[in-house]
Amino acid sequence: MTESTPLAVELRGITKRFPGVVANSDIELRVARGEVHAIVGENGAGKSTLMKTLYGMHRPDEGQILVDGREVHLRSPNDAIAAGIGMVHQHFMLADNFTVLENIVLGSEPTKGGRLDRATARRRITEISDSYSLGLEPDALVEELGVGDRQRVEIAKVLYRGATILILDEPTAVLVPQEVDELFGNLAELKREGLTVIFISHKLDEVRKVADSITVIRRGTTVGTADPRTTTARQLAEMMVGAELPTPATRDSTVRETPVLRIDHLTVPGAPGSRAVVDDVSMTVREGEVVGIAGVEGNGQSELIDAVLGLRVPSAGTVVLGDEDITDWSTRQRREGGVGFIPEDRHRQGMLLEAPLWENRILGHQTRPPAVKGAFIDRKAAREDTARIMSEYDVRAPGPNTPAVALSGGNQQKLIVGREMSAHPRVLLAAHPTRGVDVGAQSVIWELLKDARAEGLGIVLVSADLEELIGLSDTLHVMLRGQLVATVDPRQVTPEELGGYMTGGHEATPAGAA
Amino acid sequence: MTLVRRVGTLLLAPALAVAIAVVISAVVMGLLGVSPVQVLKVMVDLGDTPSQQITAVVAILNRALPLFLAGLAVAIGFRMSLFNIGVEGQYRMATIMAATIGAAVALPAPLHIALIIVVAMAVGAIWAGIVAVLKVTRGVSEVISSIMLNFIALGLASYLLTGPFRGSPEGASIVSTAQIPESGRLGGLNGVFDVLGLANPPRQLYGFLLIAVVVGVVIWVLLQRTRFGFDLRATGLSPSAASASGVDARRMVVKTMLLSGAVAGLVGLPDLLGRTYEYSSDFTSGLGFLGIAVALLGRNNPGGIALAAILYAFLDRASVPLQSASLPSSVVTIIQGTIVLAVVVANEIAGRITRRAAERASRQSSGPPPDDSMTTRQVPGVVSEGTP
Repeated sequence: MTESTPLAVELRGITKRFPGVVANSDIELRVARGEVHAIVGENGAGKSTLMKTLYGMHRPDEGQILVDGREVHLRSPNDAIAAGIGMVHQHFMLADNFTVLENIVLGSEPTKGGRLDRATARRRITEISDSYSLGLEPDALVEELGVGDRQRVEIAKVLYRGATILILDEPTAVLVPQEVDELFGNLAELKREGLTVIFISHKLDEVRKVADSITVIRRGTTVGTADPRTTTARQLAEMMVGAELPTPATRDSTVRETPVLRIDHLTVPGAPGSRAVVDDVSMTVREGEVVGIAGVEGNGQSELIDAVLGLRVPSAGTVVLGDEDITDWSTRQRREGGVGFIPEDRHRQGMLLEAPLWENRILGHQTRPPAVKGAFIDRKAAREDTARIMSEYDVRAPGPNTPAVALSGGNQQKLIVGREMSAHPRVLLAAHPTRGVDVGAQSVIWELLKDARAEGLGIVLVSADLEELIGLSDTLHVMLRGQLVATVDPRQVTPEELGGYMTGGHEATPAGAA
Repeated sequence: MTLVRRVGTLLLAPALAVAIAVVISAVVMGLLGVSPVQVLKVMVDLGDTPSQQITAVVAILNRALPLFLAGLAVAIGFRMSLFNIGVEGQYRMATIMAATIGAAVALPAPLHIALIIVVAMAVGAIWAGIVAVLKVTRGVSEVISSIMLNFIALGLASYLLTGPFRGSPEGASIVSTAQIPESGRLGGLNGVFDVLGLANPPRQLYGFLLIAVVVGVVIWVLLQRTRFGFDLRATGLSPSAASASGVDARRMVVKTMLLSGAVAGLVGLPDLLGRTYEYSSDFTSGLGFLGIAVALLGRNNPGGIALAAILYAFLDRASVPLQSASLPSSVVTIIQGTIVLAVVVANEIAGRITRRAAERASRQSSGPPPDDSMTTRQVPGVVSEGTP
């Protein structure tokens, strides 16, 4: 970074206001050419707003954007692309039934006589693929590609349009550890060729591994930069949160003798012709115990939770709640019997987004007080109880009549947790309870789970966050291809070992360990 | 939110839709060389004398009744994202069966009428139930199967009418079922006009009005105030969230279609019990399809559907005076059609406006988060030191 080379991207005093809220204020960002620059911050800190500004998706209210030392005015993503800025979105925007080649050229097709010039396209794509070691097959169908390959197609798409500055929005969120390593290899290639990468993430270990410099955002503004070589993840986290983090405390076990949930040889069939998605799973959850289930996503955790909740019909095995066999019970009976549920996708399974909060309070508890009186909904009591949950569980919203869609993810999740806890369940099925919520809400939710555990609640915890699993669980199972392949002691195990079990190689050094 | 604002947001979309439709229709009329002002004048002119005006009001209400019931039947399905296009077939089947059975039995008046109503509801429910069974057992889209069943119902009804159920003499120009006897007919409500001191019009206000009001209130209570209604609406908003909350989605489809079909079975009864006393080849048709428009305009809410039904009935009534004023009566159809288009657009716009307002309100109340809550609520947790 010398004085003579202009910065690839410089933002000066960027401020962006939305009605009633300042999403970004006085952002300062300096990205040198040819570096991987990470932007970290917790959910809702304003990272996405900032990147949308840089990609021309909206215009800042104040401030300047400089690309290669020249001020630019980005009115649309097209302007950004013209300025050499490309964006790889977190959610891929690919047409599944098109080939890699077709997807890459889509929108900027080379033509010859009005027809798609496949030869030119193929030559350029091969050039791009070779020079950055992307390993693309132009004629492969996108629907047959894995997640990592799809991401490389997205990167190639941006490069094809001549981008020299790439914005990657949470690129590792969808990848398994091995794919993360491959991605980091690709980023190194890009850097070697002189391209600039802006890498948005909140996974601090990854950021420290891949970035050359780091800018931290907190509550809409940049709070500082850090050198990944000299900064620990802990220091970064403290910059992100703006407070000193407590160390993971050791806790007393609250596990009692009485089992509340027993799963015996449970098998859930997969699609016809394929292996079972849950394969002969047996486990016991006792009162006051948190049983964690670790595993790479898609190894049967969701199906196991669904089966315990009665949403999937098992082909074999039993589920026993307390001392009652509930295998043949309906979902409603199970919920009435004391099974609480925090879904992994709250928009899909946990909320009615267009309905007001008080109706969401009723959801899942339609047959129990205080929300209902006989066959009728008790609107007054439901509203009052919603207001109680909102104050006790720190749900920030104008009132019980607010539609759920207007709340942030963290506040929606706190409402769900509050709702489930209010029914005093015997067993709580918690799938990714802190996914997509900010650090503040995360702490609140952890605290609530710990309190409930101390009072004797049995919890099944599925999570992709290994630290969360290790920190909260009393017993920790590892799920791989539908089976429980290992049971480990969360007090002893390291995330690296856990990663090894999750990918099937006990000895293998898991990705993520530097 | 204050009551005024709530009502305001509720009325926003329909009012917008009607306004858009009026403007588009005016443009179309202008292109056709018809004066929109003149058309409007004819439409709102209910007659010169009080007696004529009341006659017009009775005609509008009598027409609005079946439209209201049809809208209600469609709306029940809409509330759980089921598109019951089959109301047309359901009420045709229900009416012909009810007319035939009503004509075949002799019972004391209240029982006779009750029997006819029950038969109509049962037949409507069964016809809609076929759709539900196909959907939950074979995964057939209710849109496809209910359209198909409309054709089957029309064919079946004309077969029954000309064959086993025929009550009219051989060779009559209009084929019909046998007449329902006096005990199975529902008297008019024209006594009300005498009580109010208004002119008693020659045409009877259907007694079914009272039953329709009761049905409307019952459906409203059922949807808005009961657990069943909550389950139904929850399934409509998010099937996955509803099943996770313990709603049996398949059973819900069956129940909803049966309910929708039962209400659809009532659609033909105002005319049957109050005027025709028989089902015939020229029995009022198309009510099921108009019901879709009425439900859309009324935003699937019984009160709104009542208003929408009255608006549609008002427009329908205007076609005869328009013809006598030598204006094209098809402008009525144009206005009704554009309302349907406009209401879809307007619902979307109004939905966005209210959502944005709610988001703004919640942002103001939630942000910026107080500083201390961030730090004091930190708990021993799991942000790691990172890897060595």
